Amino acid sequence: MALRLERRLEISRKLSASISAFFIILAIIAASLVFELLGVSSVETLSKIYYVFTTPATLLQAVLRGLPMGFAALGLCLAFKMNFWNIGADGQIYMGMMAATGIVLMHAYYGLIPEPLVLPAMVAASFIAGGVYCALPAFLKARLGVNEILPTLMLNYVAMRFVDFLIYGPWRDPKGFGFPVSIVFPDYARLDSFLGHSAYVGFPGAIAVAAVLYGLLQKTTLGFEMRVMGQNIEAARYAGIRLGRTLLTGSLVAGGLAGIGGLVIVSGIIGRLRPGASPGYGYTAIIIAFLSGLNPWLALPASVFFGGLLVAGDVIQSTLNLPFAAVQIFQATIFLMIILGEFFKRYRVKVVR
Amino acid sequence: MIDVGWISSVLAGAVSAGTVFLIASLGEMYAERAGVLNLGMEGMMIIGAAVAFIFTNALGHGAALLAVVLIGLVLGVSHAVFSVSLKLNQVVVGLAFTILGLGVSGLITAAEIRKRFILALNPETPERLVITQEAAKLPVIPIPVLKDIPVIGPVFFNHNVLVYFAFTLSVVMWFVLFRTRFGLSLRSCGENPSMADSLGVNVYRMRYISMAICGMLGSLAGAYLFIGYQPFWVEGMTAGRGFISLALVILATWSPLRAILGALLFGGVETLQFRLPLLGVAAQLPQFLLMLPYIVTIITLTLLSLESVRKRVGAPAALGIPYTRE
Repeated sequence: MALRLERRLEISRKLSASISAFFIILAIIAASLVFELLGVSSVETLSKIYYVFTTPATLLQAVLRGLPMGFAALGLCLAFKMNFWNIGADGQIYMGMMAATGIVLMHAYYGLIPEPLVLPAMVAASFIAGGVYCALPAFLKARLGVNEILPTLMLNYVAMRFVDFLIYGPWRDPKGFGFPVSIVFPDYARLDSFLGHSAYVGFPGAIAVAAVLYGLLQKTTLGFEMRVMGQNIEAARYAGIRLGRTLLTGSLVAGGLAGIGGLVIVSGIIGRLRPGASPGYGYTAIIIAFLSGLNPWLALPASVFFGGLLVAGDVIQSTLNLPFAAVQIFQATIFLMIILGEFFKRYRVKVVR
Repeated sequence: MIDVGWISSVLAGAVSAGTVFLIASLGEMYAERAGVLNLGMEGMMIIGAAVAFIFTNALGHGAALLAVVLIGLVLGVSHAVFSVSLKLNQVVVGLAFTILGLGVSGLITAAEIRKRFILALNPETPERLVITQEAAKLPVIPIPVLKDIPVIGPVFFNHNVLVYFAFTLSVVMWFVLFRTRFGLSLRSCGENPSMADSLGVNVYRMRYISMAICGMLGSLAGAYLFIGYQPFWVEGMTAGRGFISLALVILATWSPLRAILGALLFGGVETLQFRLPLLGVAAQLPQFLLMLPYIVTIITLTLLSLESVRKRVGAPAALGIPYTRE
């Protein structure tokens, strides 16, 4: 008796969804096992997570905390569809935070921009900053054939250090008692100043972006070209698609959305810029993009789920006295199980006698 | 100020700091030469550091190094199960291992859990070692005679055993890679796996072996970081060093000998970030200094992708592509 792998030619939606569901449940069981192995009660941990998603106040918090990762993940859905392996969402988030903060400081320090235009300018600036930062490695790929995986990864650290430089240097709050933080954003530069909660602005925004992305990918020529490029670059070249231009446009949008994620962090969650403001949101966004199968619509609930894990992490930290790492274990097991599920979607395992 | 003494102490610091990168990049190099890109290096490193932390306080250095190497072996082989046998995307598998490593290392070193581990390993452990965030550093073993050579002596021959091990290992690994049959087979798996297969090389086995080596050295690099370089536990203390090791592999263009030079360069950068502010050189400089390894890597990668260069020292052609036997 032996096992044989057979490549599936196509897979029904139903089977694909049930494989995903099965492996997510498996992930929760695996994470629970890890917790039990370390002598942590998995029942208590899971009940904290359940509590987060069933209490309105914490659920709203989960939506908000999921937004930065959600925007970045929306961008990644596009990038990965083009077969552009952007590992640099974290860096693009940092660039978005930097640009948004820069606009606030330009207004607060020099009065350069009229007050009502500050928030729109922040949105535009963070989108452009994140987009250009992502288009840089895309340009190297299009022009010189430099593989994008390591450059995007490396640029994360460059962005992080550069924000550190600004925050420890010229952008440090003069009244901040020497702490490395920017000034607190004034009301007109904050997302929660409109409807009372940042999530009330951000989540509809994310839905709109998902709709636009879905339309772009499924209904427009550009979107079609992006998908062809991702699936078969030779066919795309043969069909006369201008690869460089398509890649640059796509990467601008992908990075720009991560930049918007950065805007949500500084303007919607912490209300100022500080070092380490994105503790790996860009990496979690990769997990979200995969969990949603690169479908923009599914990326939204997935980001709420991961936002909820972050909130649960805070609860677990304060009540069970466990480090943030507990959340990372959940993230990683879910990630591993999703990619394991990916294997079973691609291959059929047969027992041969 | 800047004199011979200062320079030689900076160089000695570069050797200490660079050894972390050197050990890890030697492992990564073998994995990549065989065709597997291991983005999980950061996770393997931090687990190595965490295991070294717990085992050193419970049982001492010898047991710690043994445990670290075994854990690394397990990590490397399990990466290979996903990336070689199941043929899953190596970028995704690697990132999952990195996140898993950060999570597991954070959890096993949390005060309560660590205490349970240490007492299970050695019930006699004194209370002091159970609660401390530190561990005993590996002893410095100056090499007689050689250490008295001016400048070179204190720079290279006044370190702990892992530093000597790392530098010796680079030479050995270079020899194995370029001067033995095994090395030739290993490289062929990264350049042209189907050709290697047709010539009788077991590509899967080679990739498993190289990932095992990569896992062991990755964890060992983490252990060195903790008990050989800065023995004070901070959650996430590798702080991107695993990724810098990936950068070093590129800078060294996949050669174990050139990795020594790159490790000294990156180690020097890390040392200077603490030394320069002491001299009163612009306080903001460290952040730009710390960007240097990443920027240098991107430039190197760009140069390596030029047609004329790629033919001579480029990346293994089949890097990152899972092999399927037809």
